[in-house]
Amino acid sequence: MVSVINTVDTSHEDMIHDAQMDYYGTRLATCSSDRSVKIFDVRNGGQILIADLRGHEGPVWQVAWAHPMYGNILASCSYDRKVIIWREENGTWEKSHEHAGHDSSVNSVCWAPHDYGLILACGSSDGAISLLTYTGEGQWEVKKINNAHTIGCNAVSWAPAVVPGSLIDQPSGQKPNYIKRFASGGCDNLIKLWKEEEDGQWKEEQKLEAHSDWVRDVAWAPSIGLPTSTIASCSQDGRVFIWTCDDASGNTWSPKLLHKFNDVVWHVSWSITANILAVSGGDNKVTLWKESVDGQWVCISDVNKGQGSVSASVTEGQQNEQ
Amino acid sequence: MGKKRTTSGEGRERQRLPARRFRIAAPRADSADGGSFFFPLLGLTDRGFSDCPDLKMSRVTTALGGSVLTGRTMHCHLDAPANAISVCRDAAQVVVAGRSIFKIYAIEEEQFVEKLNLRVGRKPSLNLSCADVVWHQMDENLLATAATNGVVVTWNLGRPSRNKQDQLFTEHKRTVNKVCFHPTEAHVLLSGSQDGFMKCFDLRRKDSVSTFSGEATEAGQGRWASLPVAQRCILRILHSFAHGLMRDAESRANEAQESWGCPDYPLGLCSGPQAGQSESVRDVQFSIRDYFTFASTFENGNVQLWDIRRPDRCERMFTAHNGPVFCCDWHPEDRGWLATGGRDKMVKVWDMTTHRAKEMHCVQTIASVARVKWRPECRHHLATCSMMVDHNIYVWDVRRPFVPAAMFEEHRDVTTGIAWRHPHDPSFLLSGSKDSSLCQHLFRDASQPVERANPEGLCYGLFGDLAFAAKESLVAAESGRKPYTGDRRHPIFFKRKLDPAEPFAGLASSALSVFETEPGGGGMRWFVDTAERYALAGRPLAELCDHNAKVARELGRNQVAQTWTMLRIIYCSPGLVPTANLNHSVGKGGSCGLPLMNSFNLKDMAPGLGSETRLDRSKGDTRSDTVLLDSSATLITNEDNEETEGSDVPADYLLGDVEGEEDELYLLDPEHTHPEEPECVLPQEAFPLRHEIVDTPPGPEHLQDKADSPHVSGSEADVASLAPVDSSFSLLSVSHALYDSRLPPDFFSVLVRDMLHFYAEQGDVQMAVSVLIILGERVRKDIDEQTQEHWYTSYIDLLQRFRLWNVSNEVVKLSTSRAVSCLNQASTTLHVNCSHCKRPMSNRGWVCDRCHRCASMCAVCHHVVKGLFVWCQGCSHGGHLQHIMKWLEGSSHCPAGCGHLCEYS
Repeated sequence: MVSVINTVDTSHEDMIHDAQMDYYGTRLATCSSDRSVKIFDVRNGGQILIADLRGHEGPVWQVAWAHPMYGNILASCSYDRKVIIWREENGTWEKSHEHAGHDSSVNSVCWAPHDYGLILACGSSDGAISLLTYTGEGQWEVKKINNAHTIGCNAVSWAPAVVPGSLIDQPSGQKPNYIKRFASGGCDNLIKLWKEEEDGQWKEEQKLEAHSDWVRDVAWAPSIGLPTSTIASCSQDGRVFIWTCDDASGNTWSPKLLHKFNDVVWHVSWSITANILAVSGGDNKVTLWKESVDGQWVCISDVNKGQGSVSASVTEGQQNEQ
Repeated sequence: MGKKRTTSGEGRERQRLPARRFRIAAPRADSADGGSFFFPLLGLTDRGFSDCPDLKMSRVTTALGGSVLTGRTMHCHLDAPANAISVCRDAAQVVVAGRSIFKIYAIEEEQFVEKLNLRVGRKPSLNLSCADVVWHQMDENLLATAATNGVVVTWNLGRPSRNKQDQLFTEHKRTVNKVCFHPTEAHVLLSGSQDGFMKCFDLRRKDSVSTFSGEATEAGQGRWASLPVAQRCILRILHSFAHGLMRDAESRANEAQESWGCPDYPLGLCSGPQAGQSESVRDVQFSIRDYFTFASTFENGNVQLWDIRRPDRCERMFTAHNGPVFCCDWHPEDRGWLATGGRDKMVKVWDMTTHRAKEMHCVQTIASVARVKWRPECRHHLATCSMMVDHNIYVWDVRRPFVPAAMFEEHRDVTTGIAWRHPHDPSFLLSGSKDSSLCQHLFRDASQPVERANPEGLCYGLFGDLAFAAKESLVAAESGRKPYTGDRRHPIFFKRKLDPAEPFAGLASSALSVFETEPGGGGMRWFVDTAERYALAGRPLAELCDHNAKVARELGRNQVAQTWTMLRIIYCSPGLVPTANLNHSVGKGGSCGLPLMNSFNLKDMAPGLGSETRLDRSKGDTRSDTVLLDSSATLITNEDNEETEGSDVPADYLLGDVEGEEDELYLLDPEHTHPEEPECVLPQEAFPLRHEIVDTPPGPEHLQDKADSPHVSGSEADVASLAPVDSSFSLLSVSHALYDSRLPPDFFSVLVRDMLHFYAEQGDVQMAVSVLIILGERVRKDIDEQTQEHWYTSYIDLLQRFRLWNVSNEVVKLSTSRAVSCLNQASTTLHVNCSHCKRPMSNRGWVCDRCHRCASMCAVCHHVVKGLFVWCQGCSHGGHLQHIMKWLEGSSHCPAGCGHLCEYS
C-alpha cells in the first residue's frame, strides 16, 4: 500500500522534529534538535541539499513554508524562544527577520492562507500566541494573544480562507471581506478557535474540549468542496478527534473520535484534498484514515503493518480497500 | 536509625584506605531527629584529626543506611541576593553567601529554616562580601569563603563564640572567584583569584603554602628550578601529601607542621610572577580521584591542569573555550573527565587522561555558562546555570547536546549557585539566585523539554506522498550510528523498539523517508492526468462527456467515467439534434457513442427500469421526439425536454437520494431494458449555441446485441461489487408517476447538483468544476454562486499547486463566476510611459507628474485623448484614431510637426 520512495539522508546530528514540503511539493524543509534547518530538493525522488540554515540557538521545533506568491519564504521556531523567517534571495537563503517576542520555547508556526497576506501565527510554551503580519519594507507588525493556553501552546493551524455569509450579502466585485480564523492546541488539553474581530483584535471564539491530555497537534482541513469546517486534533492521551462544524456561524462543533492509539499521537496531516488524514504516533507509525460512506473513519493504510495492535476498524478498513 | 557515636579514639584505624573513604562527622544535633536523611553506605571511618582541638568533641561517625532523602520542591526568601551556595555533607544544611548575606539554612522536609547567621558584628566588612563559599566535605564545621576584596576566610562552626570566623588570608590582591577544599585532605584549601593567582593554603598555617600563576606556561621554563629553597619545600609538601594518608593522624600532622611550617619560607618568591601578567582565574577544582591534581580555568579561555606539588608550572594547558571559561567540574566517578563551561555558551567535556585533552562532548546552551555541576549517579548528566539572560537551571545529557534533559524555572533572576544536595542522590538540586531566593528543586518536578520535543515530523505532500521523520532506535545509534545500512528502500527503522526504561539513553537521530501512497491512499497522479486530459469546451457536449468519460476510465476512475456517461445521457438527447441531417445519422451516432458508454450505462439503466414503465416511456419518448423535431434548430424549449425516463435512473443510482424498491431491480428482464436505451438521452436546450450538437440516440439494434451477451451481466455484477467502496449508493427504481406526469423543469438539475456536491465533498473538486463548466447554464442556476466560486477557487488553487498553469487559465477563462474570471485581470498590469519624458507614468491621471504635461494629447486637435489613442511607435506622437487617420490621408509626416515619417500598421 505504502512504499518508501525516498529515504532522505538529512545528516542532522540530532532528532528531526518536523519535515514540511513546500507548496509545489518539490522541496522539503527539515528541522532538528541540532539547531539547524535544512532544505532539500526532493524532485523525482532525489535529495539534494539546497540550504543548511543556522541561526537558532536551540532545537528547532517546526518549519512552515509561505505561499510562493510571496517568494521563497520559510519560517522556523525554536526552543531558543525565537522565530526566524528565512528568505531565498538570488538562490541563497538568508535570515530575513527574527522575532524574539516570546518568553519561552516557540513550538509551532503556521502561515495564514495567502489571501490574507503574509501572516504568521506562532504558539509558544509561554502560553501566548503571536501573530506577525508583514507590513512591507521588511517590517513586521506583532500582535500577541497572551495566555492563550495555560502552560503552553503546542500547535497552531489556520482555517482556509472562506468568505463569510452568503454571496447575496456580498457587494459584487468588491474584495471579499475574509474572516480570519485559526485553531490552537495546548497543554491545557484544549483546542481553541480564534477569530479576528473587526477592530483587528483576536478573540477566542470556541473552546473545544475532548482530550484528556496535552493537545499535540491540530490541523484545519483544507477547504476543498463543501463549506463544512473540519479540524483534526491529536493528543498525548493517544486520541485523535475529528471536529466538524456544519453551521455557517461556526459555533457548533462536534467531535468524532477517529481512533484511540496506545501511545502519544504527535502529528495529524491532511492530504491536499482533505479526504485523507495521516496520523503519526509515538510508536513510530503512520496511519492513513479516510471517512467511509457511513461517516466512520477507517484506516486505509498502515506503514507499519503487522506491528503493534491493529484495531477491528483498521482491519475492516483494509479489507474494504482490497 | 543506624547511627552510632564513637569517640575519636575508637574510630581510629590504621590501615590504608582509599582517599574517599575517610570522613569526619560533625555533631548532628540539628538533625538527630531527622533520621530520614540518607547517608551512603560508605565505610565511614574516623581518621581522627586530633590536631584540631575544636573538633575533638564533635567527632561523630554516622552510618545511616537505607533511608533516602525526602523533600519537595520549595524555596525560601533570602534577605539579599546570593552569590554562591554550598551544601554540608550531611545534606541537611546549606550555606548561602552573597555580598550582604552569609547564612546557614537547615533543609527540612517542607521548608528551609534559617539556622545561623554568620554575618556578625556591627561593622559590615568587605571580608564578608562573599563571591564564593564552600563547605568542607569532610568536616561539617569547616567553611571557607572568598571575598570580593581578595580575602579568603575560613569559618569554624564549632567555635563557641558568636563569631565563627577562623582564619583570614589576605594574600590575593583582587576578588577571589573561587575557593575549593581538597576532597580528602582536611586542611588544604585552594583559591583562585581575579589577580591571576591560585593559592594553596594549609589551614594550620597563617599564610599560603604555594602559589600558582595562571600565567605560567606549560612545562615551565624553569623559573622555579633555580630556586632550591622553594624546590625543597615543594618536595616536602609532596612528601606530606603522599604519605599523609597512611599515617597516624598525629604523626602526620606533626610532619605536616614541620614541613609546611618552614618558618623562613620565602613567601616573596612563591608569588614570583608579577601580577598583571596573569589571566584572571575563574575556577579551581581539585580532582576527585587524582590526589595531587587540580584544574583551573581562565578568562582567556584556557584550562590548566596542575600538580599541587609543582607550583612552578602547570602540567598541561589547553584552550577550551572561546572567551572566558567560567567554571569547571570533575566528574565524580570517571577519573579524568572534566566539564568546562564558558561565555561561548558551551559546556565541554574533556577527557584528561589522554596525552592531549580530548573533547568528548560539547553541549550548546542558550546563554553563557556560569556554573556546571555533574549530576550524582547519572554518568552523563550535568547541571548548568547562566550568569545572564537566562534564569533557568538546566540539566543536560551530554550525549544530547542540544536539548536539556530537564529545566528548572523557579528563579526570577540569574541563578548564581547550584549544588546537588547529596553526592549520591540525583534528585535534589539546590540553587541560590540573584532574586534573593534559595530553592530546592526536585528532579521529577522539572519541566522536561525533551518530553515536549516532538520526535516525529509528518507532512502530506502535494502528490499524496508522505514525508515522515522518526526517531531512530537508540540501539542503532549506539552501535555505529549508521542509520541507512543495507537496503535503503525498506523503512527498517520503523520496526525498532525503543527501550522504554531508558528513553534518554543515547544519541538521538532521526530517519526521514518519503513514502508513496497508492491512488486510493491519496496519490495525486490522477489529478494531474485528469486535469491535463479533460476537455472542457470547444466541442459538443456529448463529445466532451464521452471524452472525459474515456479519460476517467483510462485512469481507472470508473465511477467518474460513469458519471460522465450519465451526464451525456441526461443532457444530450437525440431530440436535440437540430437538423434533419443529424436525424438521419442516427445509426452512425449510436455506433460511435456506444463503445464509450460501455457496459456501464447498460448496467445503470437496468436497475431503474421496470418492465411496466417501458411502454409509458416509449410513449413519452415519441412525444418528446416529435416535439423536438417540431421545434426549430435553434430554439428548443425547456419544458419539453427534461422529462425522459432513462436518464433519471442513473442519476438516482448515483446520488442515492431517492427511495427505491430493490426488489424490483431483480425482476428486471434484460430484454426490456434495451429498447429503452435510446430514451435515456435527454434533450436540453439551454446549451450554448457554439457547441454543435451532433449527438444522436444509440442504435437500438446495437444495444440489443450488447445486452444479450452474457458479458454484460457479468460486468454488472462486477460493478455492483465494486461500487460500495467508493460511494454511497442505493439502487432504486423510479416510480411510475414520474414518467406519467411531466417532470418539473429542474428535475435533473437537482440531481446533478447533488452529484456535484457529492464529488466536491469527496475532495474531487475537479469533477465538480469540470461538470460545472461543461454543463454551463444547465446547472449553474441551481448551485449558489458562492459555492461555485469556492469550487472554482479551490480547483484553480490546486491546479496552480501542480503548476498546471494552462489548465488553470482555461478554467479561469471558462468560469462563469465573476470573481473567478476577474482573477486573470487582477494580475495583469499595464505599464505606461509618458510620451514626453519617456518615464513611467506613476499616476492614474492624464498628467505626467514628472514633466507636468498631459501625456496623451492628440497631435491633431490638441485635446486629451480619453478613449482610443493611436500613436506612432517611432516618435510616440499620436491622437484620436479618427484624427490621425484623417491626417494620414493628407500627409505621412507626424502631425506634431516633429518631422518624423510616421508609420502605422
